[in-house]
Amino acid sequence: MDDAVTMSTTKRLLLLYCSFFRITALVVGGGLAMLPVIEEIFVVKRKLLTREELLDMTALTQTVPGIIAVNSAVYIGMKVAGVPGALAAVAGAFTPPFTVILIIASLFPRLDPHNRYLLGAFAGIRACVTGMILVTGTRMFRRTVKTRLECAVVLIFFVLAILKVSPALLILAAIPFGWCYVWWQTRRLEQAEKSAGPDAESSSNESESASKDAGEGRS
Amino acid sequence: MTQYIVLFFQFCKFSVLCFGGGYMLIPLLTAEFVDREGVLTMDQFGNLLSVAQVTPGPVGLNTATYVGFVNGGFFGSLAASLGLIAPTIVIGCSAAAGIARWKDKFVVKGMLKGTRLAAVALIMFAVTIFFGMSIFTGAIPWEAFGALFRLQRPVLPEEFGVSPSGILICGTVIVLMVKSKLPTTVLLLGSAAAGALLSVFL
Repeated sequence: MDDAVTMSTTKRLLLLYCSFFRITALVVGGGLAMLPVIEEIFVVKRKLLTREELLDMTALTQTVPGIIAVNSAVYIGMKVAGVPGALAAVAGAFTPPFTVILIIASLFPRLDPHNRYLLGAFAGIRACVTGMILVTGTRMFRRTVKTRLECAVVLIFFVLAILKVSPALLILAAIPFGWCYVWWQTRRLEQAEKSAGPDAESSSNESESASKDAGEGRS
Repeated sequence: MTQYIVLFFQFCKFSVLCFGGGYMLIPLLTAEFVDREGVLTMDQFGNLLSVAQVTPGPVGLNTATYVGFVNGGFFGSLAASLGLIAPTIVIGCSAAAGIARWKDKFVVKGMLKGTRLAAVALIMFAVTIFFGMSIFTGAIPWEAFGALFRLQRPVLPEEFGVSPSGILICGTVIVLMVKSKLPTTVLLLGSAAAGALLSVFL
């Protein structure tokens, strides 16, 4: 912790800017792919964060809205040097992709739009991303959806999205639904506890609370 | 000037609604820029996502910069990416300060539960969008599937077909992702090379 105590504010801000500059300049794919690099710099080398704090961060950055990379920058910046730290880290994360994409985007119209190798390469990347999202989506589905009711809700949302209901509307509608659902779940659990008594544990009750615990452990 | 302000607030909106990372942006972006405003075609959007995937940096930020550029040049890029960042800073700072402690409180818990379910559904929807851009040639014609329920023969649009190289690459990527721990960079660059090569034969 020696390093963390003695470091001046300016030095910390500079470190945050440079670290996140390096991370977004080098890491392809973004989001969770940055995690090992963050661990190396902030936990192992500089000792500004503990492993537990990093774990908290990964859970938090995925539950709060916004893109994961910027969320992580804000969170670590806050931990290391308060609000100015958050701003420095975000500025660092922002600079490289902004510059690189600007250059590419201004060159893009000059590329030959009928070059078959170029089109083939893009088609290849798109097919790859399709596979990647499919795998990520399946993993997310397994992690999030625990009961038959939840599965039905996901399917309803999916069909509504296909029927061109605005995605923004769907997310906003999901919030009050979540409140009702959690309220209903806790009430049902309480009732089950009351009727089952202290020592009689039915197997369904057990599995219910077990799955609930598992869900909370990941959140 | 107004167009930049509009872009800024559009991306603010995406950022606030973007639960669960960059892929969530795909349905939001296609709904706004392809379906509603028509500033991009599905094909352009696909190319743009390909570029955002292979260039270093977070996919969400890359996409925002690019969409902003297509919509209004340099300042468009600036407005879009700042729009994506601004709400995150506000929400993130307060979250780092407090949400971890409120995680078990009813309001936060219910909100997270609901939005997570919606996020899963929207990522499934993003998969169907990508199917239309890679496995099939042309968007999936859901109207044609509707005919099946009315016990009619579905009429598929002429441009709708299957791309063999798309199936090949997508299948290989799925197997590699499940069976091995290859970094995504390798998968993406390998697929780009494979796509370029297969375009000669297929």
